[in-house]
Amino acid sequence: MSKKAWTVLGVVLLIAFAGFAFAAFRTSLTPYVSYREAQGGTRTVQVAGALEKGSTSYDESASALRFTLRDPQTGDTLRVRYEGVKPANFEDAISIVAIGRWSPGPAEFAAGKLLVKCPSKYQGTEVKSYS
Amino acid sequence: MSALSQLYLPGAIAVWCALAFALAALWGYVDLARGDESARGFARRAYAFFTLAVLASAFVLLVALARRDFRIDYVFQYSGLDLPWHYQLAAFWAGQKGSFLIWLFWGALIGVPLTRSIGRHEGPVMGIYVLAQLGLLFILVRENPFLMLDHAPADGQGLNPLLQDDWMVIHPPIMFIGYALSAVPFSFAMAALWKKDASDWAARAFPWALAGFLVLGTAILLGGYWAYATLGWGGYWGWDPVENASLIPWLFGTALVHGLYLERTRSRYRRANMVLAVLVFLSVLYGTFLTRSGVLADFSVHSFVDLGISGWLIGLMAFFGGLAALLLATRLRTVETRPNEDPALSRGTFLVLATIAILSCATVVTIGTSAPILTRFMENPGQVGPEFYNRVNLPIALLVAFLLAFVPFMTWRGEESARAVLRKALPGLAAGFLATCVGLGLGVTNPLHAIFLFLAVSALATNLQRVVRLARDRKLASAGGYLAHVGVGIILVGFMASSAYDESVKVTLEQGKPVSLGSHSLTFERFLPRDAHDKERAEVAVTRPDGKVWLAYPKIFVNDRTQQLMVHPAIRSGPLDDLYLSPLEYSPGSPGGFARLQLAKNESREIGDATVRFLGFNLQAEGNALVNMSAGKPVAIGAVLEVTRAGRTERVEPVYRFEQSGRTEFPPLSLPGGGRVAVGAINATAGAVELLFDGLGSTAAVPARLSLDVTRKPLVSLVWWGMYVIFAGGTLALVARARQLRKLDDLPPAGRAAV
Repeated sequence: MSKKAWTVLGVVLLIAFAGFAFAAFRTSLTPYVSYREAQGGTRTVQVAGALEKGSTSYDESASALRFTLRDPQTGDTLRVRYEGVKPANFEDAISIVAIGRWSPGPAEFAAGKLLVKCPSKYQGTEVKSYS
Repeated sequence: MSALSQLYLPGAIAVWCALAFALAALWGYVDLARGDESARGFARRAYAFFTLAVLASAFVLLVALARRDFRIDYVFQYSGLDLPWHYQLAAFWAGQKGSFLIWLFWGALIGVPLTRSIGRHEGPVMGIYVLAQLGLLFILVRENPFLMLDHAPADGQGLNPLLQDDWMVIHPPIMFIGYALSAVPFSFAMAALWKKDASDWAARAFPWALAGFLVLGTAILLGGYWAYATLGWGGYWGWDPVENASLIPWLFGTALVHGLYLERTRSRYRRANMVLAVLVFLSVLYGTFLTRSGVLADFSVHSFVDLGISGWLIGLMAFFGGLAALLLATRLRTVETRPNEDPALSRGTFLVLATIAILSCATVVTIGTSAPILTRFMENPGQVGPEFYNRVNLPIALLVAFLLAFVPFMTWRGEESARAVLRKALPGLAAGFLATCVGLGLGVTNPLHAIFLFLAVSALATNLQRVVRLARDRKLASAGGYLAHVGVGIILVGFMASSAYDESVKVTLEQGKPVSLGSHSLTFERFLPRDAHDKERAEVAVTRPDGKVWLAYPKIFVNDRTQQLMVHPAIRSGPLDDLYLSPLEYSPGSPGGFARLQLAKNESREIGDATVRFLGFNLQAEGNALVNMSAGKPVAIGAVLEVTRAGRTERVEPVYRFEQSGRTEFPPLSLPGGGRVAVGAINATAGAVELLFDGLGSTAAVPARLSLDVTRKPLVSLVWWGMYVIFAGGTLALVARARQLRKLDDLPPAGRAAV
């Protein structure tokens, strides 16, 4: 094969890879949605909210953590089920982001991943003074 | 800018001096670059003073931390009286402001050896380099770590408990050495374009690029190990934006190292390398922007909030990006480079392909990490999860492994036929084939994984073969690249095995009851209280199939200061797999607790199978209680009870003793027919008594329970070992390239252009 042919092949492969990467990007994108959109949806999304005090329970038989999120703006609530290691600063989080999808059977949001924002002194006082 | 009175002056003055000296050094070096030789002395002195001023400001912060001077806001926020000295040190870089200071600290120090290694390029290179330091300095003046509070608190707020870890003491400073080093190849590239003198830039930038690659890689490894062994995130890599922010410059740096190798040996790709050097530096700034500006606040487990420096960081990126774009656009054509005359099937082609693969990986990670920004203008901003990175990087890793397997036998001029290359690679390929057979036997199911395993082990073996050959020929010094590739082969196997073939199960263990999990048996033995050596932890006996017992201590405790629940996994590392026990939940149960009963005088209640009537207090139980009380002596009050059980009535009198000091004593008294009773409290105003019963109507004992996530991660150790081997190879290469640098400086001026 000539050098030109190799180059063309390389470019074609690169374009194919770019297309593949773009498709993967589209499918694994988890958009932020409201609770209402999350309920009944079929794709993986993320929702954020504050932890409802006292709503946390650990179900030993199912190894699942259940809790309720409340949207600080609309006041809507969402029951979340999470199977995984409870994040260290879970209880005193100011905001929790749950990534997962709606499971219609038990009518709860099955989260595969949690992101926990804590009012830690990590940046805590600065949150206060800047926002 | 804050008013003078709000600043801790020793530190603030040092920062301002650093700014003044940096400006002076910039002026001097620009003059020198323009040909004014007399400016050299001035510029060097100014740089030396700049370095001293930066060291002084770091020293002031360190002393303030050591003295626990909580008047200083930064010290107040990140340290506390309860911190041991090494966490006091970690507090230095726990916050934003301190991180910029440590970054600048390394940047200033790196400039010292840099000045000595650049010969005639000192003016332009140092000019650009000082400019990069100035960018950080401006942020530091704006985000001054020496702000004072208007009062002196007695104690600081303490360090985030997640950061109270030995790895946290060393991980960030090493990361910032890597960040600081990224400015060096950038300065070389910009200087070469500026002065239109690129003949030896690759030779000079190469060791620095290698050093940056090594240091940043070490920091990433430490970060991964920290996440794995301490944070209990379950893995060494979570594709979190903050992790990616350091991975992206490292990937660009890896591409640059390969590009520079090509340039040094074939005098080609000079222009591409300059672009790469720019990308490394800009990606460090971009990563800093991503993690420090708050754009990812809702997308990362790391809670960085917008501290109002996003504008500065965007400004820095725009400035350096603009500078680079301007120089590249106007001068890149003037850079001499050699056309590619090598045949398609040659080592050069393989290297270019590998570099493109690494760049693709860097691009993919950049785009994935930027997803929240890219999708910001769509209706719902979103992010991509780990599966995106895993999926897209798999073909890249396959290509890399394929190239690595053959590159040791490829020649530059392509003299060898494809057949000859294949023949030489045969032993390595055989090793790969063998490993794949073993893998299939052990449960590799996915055909892609089988191909991956074959290529990765082949790459490992062919490169190892080459290293051994070179070592035998006493040319080990030039085996750095091959050795690093052995490491890549090892790490690829580790990545695949530990991520695709880990087995995880969640169990709840009742204290004392063994539960079998596959071939292992787990028993939750007891929960240990905090002691001088360690935090609260559970003791879990893991019995392996061969009968050996491993006592695991997963920790689950509450941080004293923040009341945060903290967990630490227990890991048993072995050559073949790691057993990873991550605590999920602990419930202490109750040891058949007391039953409480409050009775007023002459009131009677049933408890268990007994009826208890409270007849009244006995103030003469041990001497007159009122006399003793007024004399300040211990007081004892008896509670006269009538207990009716199985038709028999008996009188018992448990006592309650208390002293002026607040010490109380309530010895339990045995009851007829079993069980015990004690006076828990006396309610004098109501004339009532609170009784505690044990073994009588008490709640049933609930055993303590521990819920664990038990994961078997095959071949995780290969990830660490692979990194060590890569670093060993990188270090060998660094030594070799630094040696060449010395030769470069010894050559007469005419010889330099020929390099």
